[in-house]
Amino acid sequence: MVGAIAGGAGGAGESEARGASQKSKDVRLSNITAAKGVADAVRTSLGPRGMDKMIQVANGDVLITNDGATIVERMNVQHPAGKMLVELSKAQDSEAGDGTTSVVVVAGALLSASLSLLNMGIHPTTISEGYQLALDKALEVLQQMSTPVDLSQKDAILQAASTSLNSKVVSQYSSLLAPMAVDAVLKVARKDGDGNDVVDLKDVRTVKKLGGTIDDTELLEGLVLTQEASSSAGGTTRVPNAKIALLQFQLSPPKTDVENNVIVQDYNAMDRILKEERQYLLGLVKRIKASGANVLLIQKSILRDAVTDLSLHFLAKLKIMVVTDIERDEIEFISKSLGCSPVASIDALAPEKLGKADLVEEVSLSGGEKVVRFTGVSTSTAPTASILVRGSNNLVLDEAERSLHDALCVVRSLVRKQFLIAGGSAPEIEVAVQLAQYSKTLAGMQSYCVRAFGDALEVVPYTLSENAGLFPVEIVTELRRRHAEGEANAGINVKKGRVTDMVQEKVVMPLLVISSALRLATEAVRLILKIDDVVLTR
Amino acid sequence: MQSGGGAQMAPFGMGVVPSVLSEGAHEEKGETAQMSNFIGAIAVTDLVKTTLGPKGMDKILQSQSGSIMVTNDGATILRSLLIDNPAAKVLIEISKTQDDEIGDGTTSVCCFAGELLREAEKLLLLHLHPQTVVSGYRKAARAALAKLEALAVDHKSDREKFRAELVKLACTTLSSKVLAQSKQQFAELAVDAVLRLEGSTNLDLVQIIKLPGGSMRDSWLEPGFLLQKKLGVGQPKVMKDAKILVANTAMDTDKVKIYGARVRVDSLTRVAEIEKAEQAKMLAKCERIAAHGCNVFVNRQLIYNRPEQFFSSKGIMAIEHADFDGVERLALVTGTSIVSTFDDPGSVELGRCDKIEEIMIGEQTVLRFSGCSAGAACSVVLRGANSQLLDEAERSLHDALCVLSQTAAVESRMVLGAGCAELAMASAVDEAAAQEQGKIALAMDAFARALRALPGIIADNAGLDAAELVGTLKAHHARGEHHMGLDIEKGVVGDVQALGITESFKLKYAMVNSAVEAAEMVIRVDDVIKAAPRKREDPYGRH
Repeated sequence: MVGAIAGGAGGAGESEARGASQKSKDVRLSNITAAKGVADAVRTSLGPRGMDKMIQVANGDVLITNDGATIVERMNVQHPAGKMLVELSKAQDSEAGDGTTSVVVVAGALLSASLSLLNMGIHPTTISEGYQLALDKALEVLQQMSTPVDLSQKDAILQAASTSLNSKVVSQYSSLLAPMAVDAVLKVARKDGDGNDVVDLKDVRTVKKLGGTIDDTELLEGLVLTQEASSSAGGTTRVPNAKIALLQFQLSPPKTDVENNVIVQDYNAMDRILKEERQYLLGLVKRIKASGANVLLIQKSILRDAVTDLSLHFLAKLKIMVVTDIERDEIEFISKSLGCSPVASIDALAPEKLGKADLVEEVSLSGGEKVVRFTGVSTSTAPTASILVRGSNNLVLDEAERSLHDALCVVRSLVRKQFLIAGGSAPEIEVAVQLAQYSKTLAGMQSYCVRAFGDALEVVPYTLSENAGLFPVEIVTELRRRHAEGEANAGINVKKGRVTDMVQEKVVMPLLVISSALRLATEAVRLILKIDDVVLTR
Repeated sequence: MQSGGGAQMAPFGMGVVPSVLSEGAHEEKGETAQMSNFIGAIAVTDLVKTTLGPKGMDKILQSQSGSIMVTNDGATILRSLLIDNPAAKVLIEISKTQDDEIGDGTTSVCCFAGELLREAEKLLLLHLHPQTVVSGYRKAARAALAKLEALAVDHKSDREKFRAELVKLACTTLSSKVLAQSKQQFAELAVDAVLRLEGSTNLDLVQIIKLPGGSMRDSWLEPGFLLQKKLGVGQPKVMKDAKILVANTAMDTDKVKIYGARVRVDSLTRVAEIEKAEQAKMLAKCERIAAHGCNVFVNRQLIYNRPEQFFSSKGIMAIEHADFDGVERLALVTGTSIVSTFDDPGSVELGRCDKIEEIMIGEQTVLRFSGCSAGAACSVVLRGANSQLLDEAERSLHDALCVLSQTAAVESRMVLGAGCAELAMASAVDEAAAQEQGKIALAMDAFARALRALPGIIADNAGLDAAELVGTLKAHHARGEHHMGLDIEKGVVGDVQALGITESFKLKYAMVNSAVEAAEMVIRVDDVIKAAPRKREDPYGRH
């Protein structure tokens, strides 16, 4: 009876399990293939000699980029597992800002490694646990390799920013952009309540203007606005010793929230109304003048005109400069940068609400574009930074902005976690070598999985040398040898085409970038491994 | 055995069956009906059974719109399926009920019902009457549940021990989910969250915030409340000893809400006056709000520039456009209610919390309310590599919280997991079956087999030899060693007490009860009538 029960249940279960396992194998294979497809697409853009991708968006626009997150995002991936890698890249972008290509490449490599482990008959959850074990060890190795850095060591931070920029389209400008990124982030870094250094990249504003070349990109003290100063009726465009008012009310005829009709019954009434309008506006303008403000920034209004020709005319007469169309979400940044507070009604306009700047000036940039620039701002409040990015065409401009963003993120990662680690794929190969050794201390299937994890990481140096036109096998084996001999910082020197000490070459990156890439990639891979079925639903 | 509609609309006569159903309706009778029911139910069971247990797999649910969801949660999978089989729908229904009442065990209940039906199918082939099968199942269920009650233990009296047991319980629940990789951390987190509730089962007090980036281990429990909003410009960034007024009110102007209302004036000065009056009205409203003595004002709707400036000047922190869910929860945790009129400051109880400040998580700035008056409130911040992971983590955590809160507040008894309870129940059923005479004993045997199939599935999913393990366990339990169960990690039979795998008594009890009821319902059916689909008029009149 026992046999009959157990055998019966087991028999039925087995035959179905076999049927199901064929299906789940297929599903797994399809997931892994799709994910590898995504990884292969970005693989060639890795490293300083990585190539760029031209992406033609559905509406015909063209985009050229080297940024992994951008590439996978625009690829319009349909397969569910592929989509997960896209999300993975985005997560790395928000966490570390850089390494968005590496994270996808590593995830792809881990998945192909698991394919051969699965073929050995190792259960997916066992592989998944093995990977976690390997990850824990890898993070330990990385921590050991890294060196602490202080925010005062500007050189070191600069090197990290340059490393990030070197793999971008704008790499020839890295000596210009890197210091900018470092200065901008360090300027806005502050201590939070618990004494930790924090950076909010919202305090760094990048402004793009077409024209000029990337060489003309500059980090600005103070503030720059892309809105133009109003020049109608001979408005002023240059104000020294500026007192700036940030207005949230409108300089236009009154308008009530309840619908209103002004009823004109005769010709005289019309004259009177026109006169009243003049008086009303003049009254407002005079009160502004009385407050001492000579530069007005006026918030955009959807309900009524922010300014009228008439009010502009009055303001021009009184030599008050006007910049309109300030968006509501810009208000906070502006008020922070200029040390002024927004004023929502004329009654609240008081001298202490004004911000001060030595000079407010509308400048024409090469290429005919204009910006309003505030210099000599006395900031008592939280500091902000503005970077004006220039470029000869929109493609370059956009890519420059993306690269700069990555560099800013790299510096921010350093502020968050103040450790530097060698670049040039030295960490990956070191982890691979250490894991290979570690796997020898383990028994059973875990040992295989840990070993496979380490081997999978070699995809990074392999790809890096491949992209640089070097002979990958030679480089990777050379790297292995050097690391086995204890040279933990040996990495690929792409410029010289051989293996050198990366720290001496000043190729460094923040620890956070690589540790977060490994962690996120492992997490995503573990999620994909656990899937055995795709079910169509509503 | 099908009698369709129109085809047989022949004149009455010998041997011709008149159709009583309307055209398009469909009827299945007797064995055909039973067959199609069993097949449907078993198909659904087979779909979800691979998710069972610590080595269970996940499924991708791909919707027609292309969005994807990765999940291990039986209820979520079943809910999303497109099913056109009445018996399968019964299983989906019980899984949903289990989800609503217990929150976990949704796959188990479906699997058990499926196994019961699989056994019933065999019994029917042996010419047992469905009613005999049903009464056998009922008797067996009674014996099984009695055993379950006898095995259940209650640790509620010992606080320390109870907490440890709850952590174990949470670990068991989480071990089959995506959070398994750091289950200890999440188990502690869930238990802390539930113990803060102090006997309440209101899970609204536990807020789950998902932020992509970081890794799952960076998730943490925040005592207090988090709101994903920003503060107004120029307002205090930190507020200590906050008195909070939560409102849902328009902060532009109190418009006359009569259609077509308008003012007619004959000069612009008058317009300016009316504008002034409107503004004054708004300010008066702000004054009334300030008169409540609050120093934090949270509004469901937008706060425009002018009121914002007013609040800034008064040193009041104003938070606008908080989402509905956020406002309700905030009101709940700070012990206040949402107000819309401000005429009677005395009657409004202000919400209290010790400190409000801006904190940064990843790239996001959120507001932290700490030391809220409802001490029960807390927020769980989940971090993870992608949104699928976060969504699944939220579902898993929710399951764990449901089970824990039920255990902590309602039914504190626990039983051993890892197949222990099932096998103990099966052995009790075996004993009871031995006392029975007649065919009914066969049905009870079948019930015991179905119970044993559950640990079998778990072992199968882990790639272990299910028949061998279950056979060994059966012998242990027949000797009365009711603490033996599956050790999936090692792939052997082990002492579950030592492994620390426990499950909620209520969960198991509900699982057996509702699975038996569902199976009974399906077995008793001998006729399926599908109503004629509602005719759709062809809008163009074509055929």
